[in-house]
Formats: sequence, C-alpha cells, structure tokens
Amino acid sequence: MKRMNRRDFLKRSLGTLAGVALGTGLDLPEAFAQRRPVKQGPIKIGGQAILSGPLGGYGNFMKMGAQLAVEEINTKGGIAGSQTEIEFRDEELKPDVAVKNARYFVDNWGADFLIGCDASSVGLAVGQVMPELNKVLIITHAATEKINEDLVYKKGIKQVFRISVPVYQDGIAAAIIAKDFPVKRWAAISPDYEYGYTTWKMFRETLKKFRPDVEFIAEAWAKFGTVDFGPHIGAVMPKEPEGIFTTEWGGEAITLIKQAKLFGVFDKAKAWMNPMGAAMDVLEGLGAEYPLGLWISCRYWFLYPDTRENRAFVQRFQKRWNRYPHYVSETGYSAVYAIKTAVEKAGTLETSEVIKALEGLSLDTPAGKRVFRREDHQAIYEVPWGQTAEDKKYPFRILRPLKVIPANDYYRQPPFA
Amino acid sequence: MVETLIFQGLIGLSLAMYIWLVAAGLTLVFGVLGVLNFAHGSLYMLGAYLTETCTALLGGNFWLGLLLATIIVAVLGVGLECFFFRPMYRLPLAYQLLMTFAFVLIFDDLVKMVWGPVYRVPPTPKGLEGSLSILGRAFPVYNVFIIGLGPLVALLLWLILEKTSWGKMIRASASSREMASAIGINIKMLFTTVFAFGAWLAALGGGLSIPIRAVSPGMGTFIIIEAFVVVVIGGLGSLKGAFIGAVLIGLLEAYGTLFLPVFEMFFIFFLMAVVLIVQPGGLFGTQVSHEEA
Repeated sequence: MKRMNRRDFLKRSLGTLAGVALGTGLDLPEAFAQRRPVKQGPIKIGGQAILSGPLGGYGNFMKMGAQLAVEEINTKGGIAGSQTEIEFRDEELKPDVAVKNARYFVDNWGADFLIGCDASSVGLAVGQVMPELNKVLIITHAATEKINEDLVYKKGIKQVFRISVPVYQDGIAAAIIAKDFPVKRWAAISPDYEYGYTTWKMFRETLKKFRPDVEFIAEAWAKFGTVDFGPHIGAVMPKEPEGIFTTEWGGEAITLIKQAKLFGVFDKAKAWMNPMGAAMDVLEGLGAEYPLGLWISCRYWFLYPDTRENRAFVQRFQKRWNRYPHYVSETGYSAVYAIKTAVEKAGTLETSEVIKALEGLSLDTPAGKRVFRREDHQAIYEVPWGQTAEDKKYPFRILRPLKVIPANDYYRQPPFA
Repeated sequence: MVETLIFQGLIGLSLAMYIWLVAAGLTLVFGVLGVLNFAHGSLYMLGAYLTETCTALLGGNFWLGLLLATIIVAVLGVGLECFFFRPMYRLPLAYQLLMTFAFVLIFDDLVKMVWGPVYRVPPTPKGLEGSLSILGRAFPVYNVFIIGLGPLVALLLWLILEKTSWGKMIRASASSREMASAIGINIKMLFTTVFAFGAWLAALGGGLSIPIRAVSPGMGTFIIIEAFVVVVIGGLGSLKGAFIGAVLIGLLEAYGTLFLPVFEMFFIFFLMAVVLIVQPGGLFGTQVSHEEA
C-alpha cells in the first residue's frame, strides 16, 4: 500500500465528503483525488469475440457493451487516472485463432487485460495460456463449467475470471424450475457438441433427484449450423414427449422454434425449456412469432433486476446504440467495470495484485450484485427464468412471470467432486 | 413405425429439395465454366435477404419479391463474371478459389452493414402457412410445396438444356470449350449467361428458404458445404447427379437422425468417401477434364 501524506488524505476526505454530499460515492471524477495514474499512457483492454458468420451478432453486441463502458469511464477520468483503450479481434470460434489473438494482444499490442471469449473451447484454450501471458482474463460468455472448476479451481490458473453465468443456469437451474411441471416424459433437441451434452446431463441428473418419476425418452442432436430441424423434430415427436428441453441458441434457436411450430410441437408438448431463449437476438428475431408460455432464460435479461442502476444502464445503452442490450452487452460492459474497480482497489496494474483485488470482489452491475467467488473466480449472480408473454410496450416477447432461483441453490460449489 | 419411416422420408425429401436448388447452380457453373464457386453460398444469402427486403417493398407480395430479388442477384452475377471471374480462367485453380473465398467474406460483411448483425424471421407467403395432417402428424404446408417445386425446377433445367439452342450451346461448350468456340459459339457471352443463371438459381434457393429458416449473415457458409458434398457425390458438373445426390443426402440426414442421432453426419461423409473410392468422378460424373489454358 502506498503511504498517504497529509495532503492526499485531505483531498480524499474532501472527495469523500463531496461524494456523500452529492448522495453518491460513485461516479466521482478521478481528477478530484489527483492520484498518480497507475500507468503512463492508456490502459489497454484486448477483447475477442465471434465477429463473423451467422453468430457474428454476438461479437458485435459484446463490443457495444464493452465500448460503452470504456467511453463512460474515459469521460469520467479513466481507470485510476489513466485513459482506457479497447480493441476487438474476431475469435472465429476457433481455439487456435483465439490463442493467437491473446498472444498478439499481450505481446504486440501491449494489452493490460483481456476480456471476451464466446465459445467454450475458446475460453478453455485461452485460459490455458494465461499463466504464461500473465494478464487477467475476464470471460464474458463461454459457459463451460470446466473453466471455473478445472482451469481455475483444480489447475490453479488464477488469471482467469468469469463474469457470466456458467452452464449451471442452463442445466441445473432449468431442472429446479422443471421439477414443478406436470411433465413426466422429457426429450431433448440440442446442439451436437459439448454444450448440448453437458446441459442435458445436468438437467437430467438434477431433475431425477427431485423427481424420480420422470423419464428421458428421446434425444436428437443437431450439428452446429443446422438450418433444418425437421429430421430432429421428426425423430423426437413419435415418442410423445410432454416436455422438450433445448439449448439451441442464436439463429438456430429461432429456426427451431419456427419449424417446431409448423410441425405442431407446441400443440403436443406441455412444456418447452430453452436457457438461451431469452437472449435478445432470439426475442427480437422471433418477435410475435414466439409462442406464449415457453420457459426461457439467458445470462442477463434487460428488464431484470428492476433497479435504478439497471434501468439507467438500459437507457444509456439505448441512447448510444439504438437497441436493447443483449446479455453479452451487459457482461462485456460489466467486465470493463470489474477491471476498473479492481485496478483502483489494487492501486497498481501488477497482475497478482489485481487478482487479489478481484477475488471476493463484490460489484454492483446492471445485472445486480455480482461476487467473484474466491475459489474458482466465478461471478455469482442471479438471472431469472420466465415464461414468454406478450407486452404491448415491446415488439417482442417478455418474461412473465419470472422465477428467480438463488444462485447458491444451483451453482455447483467447490470442491467440485 | 411405418408411419414414422414415411414421415421421416418426407422430411428428408424436403431437406433434399432445399439442397438441390443450391447444388444445381453450383454444378451447372462448374460444368460449363470449370469454376468451383465458393461464393455461391453468398449469392444464396443475398437472395434470402433481398427477397425479404423486396417483399416488404412490394407490399408483402412474396412471389414478386422473390422474382425481383433473384433478378437482382442474376444481374450481380453478370457483373461478377465479367469483371472478376473472366480474368481468372487463365490462372491456376487456387487463384479462383481464393477469389471466390474473398467474395464470401466481402458479402458477409456487406450484409452485416446493410441489414445489421441480427437474425430476421420473414413471414410465410399467403396460402402456404401452417401445416396439414399427414399420417396423423402435422407437416408444414411450405415443405410440401418445396417437395413439389424441386422436381419442377429439375424438369425446367432439363428442358432448357435439351430443348433450347442456348442449352445446346451450354452442352457443347461443357464437353469441349475449344470445339464450341471453333464452330462459332460466343463463349464469353455463354459463360456470362450461365454464371448469371447459376446466380439466379442460388438466389432462388435462398429466397425460397426464408419462410422456414432464419435469415442471418453467413447463412450461406453452412449450405455451401452441404451443396459441395452433394455435387461431389453426384459428379461435378452433372445436374442429374446433383439431384440424386441431394435426395440421397436429404434421406440420409433424416433417417440418420432418427436411428443414430449422434452419428448422422458420419453417414454423409462415409457415403462421399465410398463414392469417391468406387467412382472417383462421382455417381454421374464423366471424368471431368477441363482443358485449363
């Protein structure tokens, strides 16, 4: 810790007083405190996300969130007195490309922090090189539990944090919701890669604990980039499932819903669950074509929590980008603020100090209070599940009623057996 | 069980017809011009986006929108052939592939700039909405329409190639470019029109897909891979091969998903491998030999 001289102390006290007088301790211009910047020149954040192809929207939306945060921070004096710069590269959903990006950012561009990673495989690959690059990486989307359970907790890679919910939301929380449904026969139509398998397994295992009477009668796996779910619907429906669980996302979630409607799935099945169904791209894409009463969730939904902070964020986001924030916009935004908070707490850019500052850090974000769990660096926060409902104020479905399960009831806890 | 088999077969056929529409243009252009056009999927994507936009501009008339959109893409095809592909015929194949791949990236970004990075779900055209009951299960009316349309397009292509003088010129120049030009066929003109026609077919496939599939940037990437597999199995340059290849792949995907959900892709590539080993030119491929200049 730096020793404070009397003048510094006075200034800080004055600053705090002024802050209290203004009714907020936040948003105080840094210049007020006149601390020495932690870095000569700008603090650099290297972001990567999927920016091309059918899922390219995700990268764009994340970029919007992160950029908004950087702009806000810079107009208010930067991070600990230093201006902040952010640059994005396309991860292409390919681990090798992503590792190259990470190396470029740290070795050539001079990044102080890394954020992003959409694909789970990308998050794992970049995570594995972080001890060598020795910068803090905040993952904003990649959801595999292997990141917090294996990389951070078991292998002890301390440089990796994750601000977005892991697959616990998709599989375990879904099952806790589904246990109250009058549904005994479940089927899955899900992605033919790890995310699809893991979430279905978590869903089945959790649900079976609460409801020994349920059966899992059919599954159909759709390869990445499926444009026609006819074969999958055709394979599952003859088994007469009462509930359908799917973790299709993006354009595939939209296509699946559209085709499921035409194949009469919603007339036959009583329940439909999609943990990615409340993502803004799916809500907006389907608009009024989204059937009512489906159970959906995501990793942040713009109307939850109903707090002043969240409403203000949505408003600022709309003003800047002329659209509602996607969940990756919020996680990108909050990742940048997490960096700011940690650096200012640590008073240095030294990686080990920033890690210490982030561990256990409690952060007020648009998505609500987030705490980075010390053991596995996973941000703990709550995201609601809800049913698709109509609301005249929006040209798309909203979630109503909401069902919020306390994070500690469904996040797996260390030591992960 | 029999019902399930028949129903799954219908699903496979509808799948096949979507692939066929894309594969037809791809194989036609290859057969005549000798160009393997990766950007064919991009033309499919442009067809989808333009159909949506033109439909909206024309007051919601899907068929007029589709017609206008496919014509725009065909005209674009004329431009592409004249200014970009023509100088490439003399160069090694790798240059062509690089260039068509560059167009994939350019069109993807262009679409994102014009229409935004979001998914779009256009409505189904009037009269083809909803589903009808087949064997006691709901089947999309639109898929019935596509299953009927696919063979019609095949018939139309056959008539054009067999019965029109343009078709005769195409066949002549496909079998020998030099001979065709020696007997007075305007090869330049022919190439341009064939490429434009291929682009029109791609746009038709894209436009016809939007009532049932999400429209998104990069949507051509996945479809082009399937179309390539079909064209390789059927024999590069063979329309008959592309049609039968599409039906095979469509049915394999449908039944594969039913019986071996995790391995359905295996069958498709296994089929391709077997065909290539037993009949390297594809099922209906004459051993394609193009006299590359």
